[in-house]
Amino acid sequence: MTPGTTVPQSAGSRWDQPRGGHRQHSPAQPGQPGGLPRLFPASGAGPVDLRTHLSRFTALPYLGQPGQLIPVLKAAGLTGRGGAAFPVYRKLAAVAEAATRPVVIGNGAEGEPASDKDKSLLWISPHLVLDGLQLAAETVSSAAVGLYVHRNDRLQDQLRAAVAERAAAGLDRVPVEIIDAPPRFLAGEESALASRISGEPAMPRFKPPRVFERGVAGRPTLVHNVETLAHLALIARYGPDWFRGAGTADEPGSMLCTLHQADGRRDVVETQLGTPLRALVHLGPGTQAVLSGGYHGAWLPAADAGQLTLSNADLVPAGSFVGAGVLAALPADRCGIAETARVTRYLALESAGQCGPCFNGLPRIAAALDEVASPRPDPRAVTDMMRWAGLVEGRGACHHPDGTVRFVRSALQVFREEIRLHTQGRCADPARRPFLPLPAQTAMDAADWN
Amino acid sequence: MNGITQSTALWYASRATGVVSLLLLTGVVLLGMLVNRQGRLPGFPRFVVTGLHRNLSLLAVVFVAVHVLTAIADSYVSIQLIAIVIPFVSSYKPVWLGLGAVSLDLVLALIVTSLLRARMSRRMWRGLHWFSYAAWGSAVVHSLYSSTDLHHGLLLYTAIACWLAVAVAGCWRMAHAGREIPREGRAAATLELMSPGGGPRRGRREAPAARPPGADIR
Repeated sequence: MTPGTTVPQSAGSRWDQPRGGHRQHSPAQPGQPGGLPRLFPASGAGPVDLRTHLSRFTALPYLGQPGQLIPVLKAAGLTGRGGAAFPVYRKLAAVAEAATRPVVIGNGAEGEPASDKDKSLLWISPHLVLDGLQLAAETVSSAAVGLYVHRNDRLQDQLRAAVAERAAAGLDRVPVEIIDAPPRFLAGEESALASRISGEPAMPRFKPPRVFERGVAGRPTLVHNVETLAHLALIARYGPDWFRGAGTADEPGSMLCTLHQADGRRDVVETQLGTPLRALVHLGPGTQAVLSGGYHGAWLPAADAGQLTLSNADLVPAGSFVGAGVLAALPADRCGIAETARVTRYLALESAGQCGPCFNGLPRIAAALDEVASPRPDPRAVTDMMRWAGLVEGRGACHHPDGTVRFVRSALQVFREEIRLHTQGRCADPARRPFLPLPAQTAMDAADWN
Repeated sequence: MNGITQSTALWYASRATGVVSLLLLTGVVLLGMLVNRQGRLPGFPRFVVTGLHRNLSLLAVVFVAVHVLTAIADSYVSIQLIAIVIPFVSSYKPVWLGLGAVSLDLVLALIVTSLLRARMSRRMWRGLHWFSYAAWGSAVVHSLYSSTDLHHGLLLYTAIACWLAVAVAGCWRMAHAGREIPREGRAAATLELMSPGGGPRRGRREAPAARPPGADIR
């Protein structure tokens, strides 16, 4: 099976639901392509080669001077698509002002097992990301550019070919190095990325100094998610008003989402921010809850999720966030607690083992959750878990403890009825069929972090 | 010695704060070894050990500062201001006061490097922190020979207790150094500890979730 062909552009037509504006595909025009998708080809075809890319989007709009793109990105309101939703122009401005020559890295590590959007984007539209890298490098006057990519030989080989093709065409002003990211959950965390590219294990470190102050080899480092770079490349071409043609006033633009439907289908779609969640994941009686924001995100009861849109304005008050656009609909016939316990055990084992609260706390929380997932659990398990959750929060070099605790707390809240069933020795899914995706293996030794 | 007069007050203050400084520095060294071995104080959460180690070291600096300044201000012996930080230039007991200056310099360097820890590499900071043993050692020798206070009585027993405590803790620390779990295995070790028997194992292979064929480009 050709990898690219398995990533459709929309969630398909099986769910007869309103879909916001994200399906109004219009043919690509050289001036300003309207509608969605913006990042993927409208036809849904496989990888876009350089010739097709250039005929759809025109040549790379170098601006001739550093810093030119910063006010444009500020007007566009583009935020980071890696999960933190930090304003893109601020990072660029901070790095552009640095005294030493900065490093620019496109982050495609995508350690989140439930997310496919960065891999899909790199597979289907590599040239948009590579355009964005060149433009970001020009903006901050960088001469060292890298693309940090999830460990996958086919993907990395194709990216190297794309880079070589651009070099032969004389498109890129700065050579791009493809750097392998280990398959660790935390490998894409900015400081872990900087550590890995500096030749050390991909483990997070305490901040400050922030990576944009001291990152790869101690130099100021601009790290942007690959999808952010692709949006940046389009904003440079079509301007802020075009970008704001999708999304909401506060959270403009489109974003890639990985959708896990209750029937087991897994798609990557491009959708506007502000799209109702019910237009993205099927929320009928077959769905009991929706996980939003990935494994550092939070569960929402399906009834609540039906009232919310894909925006931090809606999701943050509900205890979750948009994050990197992972939405998973948990089927009604599964056990939310068992699923959360399985994922939490994985998250605990993905601790870098550096911060005491993380490597002592998360395994305890995971073991307590295993207890709550078992028939007639020890009633102390929940109170223990809540106590440990409070003790680990905010105490790590990175947000791994905080994100894991948010995920666990939301499960205890949303799956209260399931916990009550367990105290009676019953369960929604005694067979414990796994639903949420997890990698086959967690880290075993030091080599796994390189 | 018959009562504290105005002229002897500074001298007494200097000796008293010197003894307290030695006790505090000993406490800091012991807690430091506990921090290093990820040990804990009975009945307290883990972060208390780290917090106590840091705060006690700052408190020790205050006592050392009072100890030094009162010694300078005291007119019984004349010690030049410069001898506080530059070792072996004092006209009074140059070697033994000099060791005190060495200790003070090292303690200050340790505190400054720890406050700036985020700005340096882990390895560099760890390397520098080894000097804490030298700082404690020179303070001990200084305390023993700069005055005769520690040569007899209760203060001698206190000093011996300090030496023994650090010696015993040092042996414990060395014995445990070989048993350190590398960071890659720490979470797994805790998880195994928490779920004996049928619990999950490190590197355990999870059954992959049910997914449509080809939905993965990895």
